[in-house]
Amino acid sequence: MSERTQVHLKDRRTGTLVEAILIDGVTEEEVQAAELTWKPFLEKEIRRMEAAGVPKERLPQHRHWDWRQKYDAIEGYAAYQMFAIECESEMQGMMLVSTAGKVCRVESQKGKSLVYVHFLAAAPWNLASIVTEPRFSLVGSILLATAIQLSIQEEFSGRIGLHSLPQADGWYAHDCGMTDLGCDATAHNLRYFEMTAEQASEFLK
Amino acid sequence: MITPARKTMTLNLTEAEMKALDELSVTKDMSKTAVLRQALRLYQMVEARLTRGEKLFFEHDSTKEKAELMMI
Repeated sequence: MSERTQVHLKDRRTGTLVEAILIDGVTEEEVQAAELTWKPFLEKEIRRMEAAGVPKERLPQHRHWDWRQKYDAIEGYAAYQMFAIECESEMQGMMLVSTAGKVCRVESQKGKSLVYVHFLAAAPWNLASIVTEPRFSLVGSILLATAIQLSIQEEFSGRIGLHSLPQADGWYAHDCGMTDLGCDATAHNLRYFEMTAEQASEFLK
Repeated sequence: MITPARKTMTLNLTEAEMKALDELSVTKDMSKTAVLRQALRLYQMVEARLTRGEKLFFEHDSTKEKAELMMI
């Protein structure tokens, strides 16, 4: 079942806050609609970047993510939840989390339950690494805050964990204040980040 | 975020099952309801993978020794 809550994004073109909708329980149609707009935009920008001689390591590392495939893989499983933010009739970001099967690694909370963020992405037109004038900001922050809120709701005290793509390492470490537990050989050598209850509380302020 | 609508049910447990639930509730620092909800989600995932013909293993962190978890 889909639940909708009002949130606010910052329109970077005008500098003002605009109304948006946080969707808990994204439908198959909504995922398809997002893919239909995200994918062509991303492919076009990647072609432009390649033509401009942008080094391969600076191309978006999540370009292979297929949200329709992810939706199909988790459909019907109670452990998974997909969230999205809609604004101006378009999906501005999506996130896939699970509430079972992963436990904390930080020593102070080792073995306790957490919300694991499998995938989190803003629409390609919101990424400063892709476009010169991104449309909306706060997309990633609102989605991460949603994962924390879910963690609190599930009685996990705000604890969350995730593996980050290298291009997002700095954001999770510095902007979100998560603990960096280093590269994880069991997860394509991606860095594993975890948020404690205290860090979660700080992030929500 | 809105709390999703929930349904209530009565659960009958043996003393041993209730003891296990009590202990998990303390260890995990969660209510018994939260423990059971999480257990159900895990069970559903495990069952789906076993149905696909996969096996569930535990691997020792340092020795890397693997042991199959027997499912009923």
